[in-house]
Amino acid sequence: MIEFWPFWVGGAALAAVALFHWILVGRLMAVSGRVSALIDAVRWGVPEPTPEIDEAALIAAMQAATMAEFGDAAAALLAPDGEDAPAEPEAPAAPEAPAEPEPEVEVAPLAVSASRQPLWMHVLFFASLATGGLVSAALGGFLRPELALRGERFTAAFGDGGLQLAVLALGGAMIGFGTRMAGGCTSGHGLCGVSRAQPGSLAATASFFGAGIGLSLLLRALS
Amino acid sequence: MSRAREVLGTIAVGMAMGFTLSRVGFSSWDEVNQMFTFEDLRMTLVFGMAVALLAPSWIIVQRISKPRWPPRGIHKGTVVGAVLFGAGWALSGACPSIVFVQVGEGQLAALSSVVGIVAGNYVYSVVHERYFRWSTGSCLDA
Repeated sequence: MIEFWPFWVGGAALAAVALFHWILVGRLMAVSGRVSALIDAVRWGVPEPTPEIDEAALIAAMQAATMAEFGDAAAALLAPDGEDAPAEPEAPAAPEAPAEPEPEVEVAPLAVSASRQPLWMHVLFFASLATGGLVSAALGGFLRPELALRGERFTAAFGDGGLQLAVLALGGAMIGFGTRMAGGCTSGHGLCGVSRAQPGSLAATASFFGAGIGLSLLLRALS
Repeated sequence: MSRAREVLGTIAVGMAMGFTLSRVGFSSWDEVNQMFTFEDLRMTLVFGMAVALLAPSWIIVQRISKPRWPPRGIHKGTVVGAVLFGAGWALSGACPSIVFVQVGEGQLAALSSVVGIVAGNYVYSVVHERYFRWSTGSCLDA
């Protein structure tokens, strides 16, 4: 077996993975959400992708329409929005001025699109996870396919036959049911949610760590 | 965001995550067990350090681009679901991402966990429609 990374290497790597998931994939990492999306796609089919609309163009068009309809009154209503912009001497809005670019509209290209990812993209992510594990095992010299989980404790507790498979299926079912019910797992709630101080994520993470601690201590006491 | 970038990003991040989880020890049932029993605090520290690094990172990201991240509030399923998940994690040594890493490493018994996760997720989606119907968070509603 290999020597596991020291905590600071592992912590930095995990944080980098979550950050690059946002930067490269364009959405926050949430793996149980991918499982749910996959299930939904199989059950209901993937919904027709909504036509891509340039949000900035849409808002500009709506503003233009508003101006055309209500004229000066709309300009006065829109003005308070400008307060968010960096203080710069603004010329009094001329009635015929084109719709001002709103600061809020300047969403970077990284922003999440509302459209769902296609089914195969989730499969691709899961396959990439497995490939990462395979590369790690191959480089570390522990790539031996076997119908087991590697670990003395696991084998001591559940053996290496049918019982272990039943326990894993039961545990897996609790994971699938529980993560969908809680709306997230270790990545979505634990990593990304807790670091954004989201109340639901803090409650969920405390709960799943608490339950894991409780059951593991119980298993240890029984063994 | 271009599709090509999304695809390459998904592959790169997925592989990096799989490798990292493997080398941290999250794909090892024994390591997870030692984390939960406080016999070895290394992986707890990994998690804590990742969160500590991510918190300021998100603040910077929010300054640079104004992302519309869904808020994650508490709902009726939060605690019960998470308790079930935590117990399942302690039993199977897996979570929805780790299970694929285990399979990739050749720990093929984890395929049993994959079946369980898929089945559990499916069953909840049916149960939710029939009986619960509360919002489970935009992660699923999106």
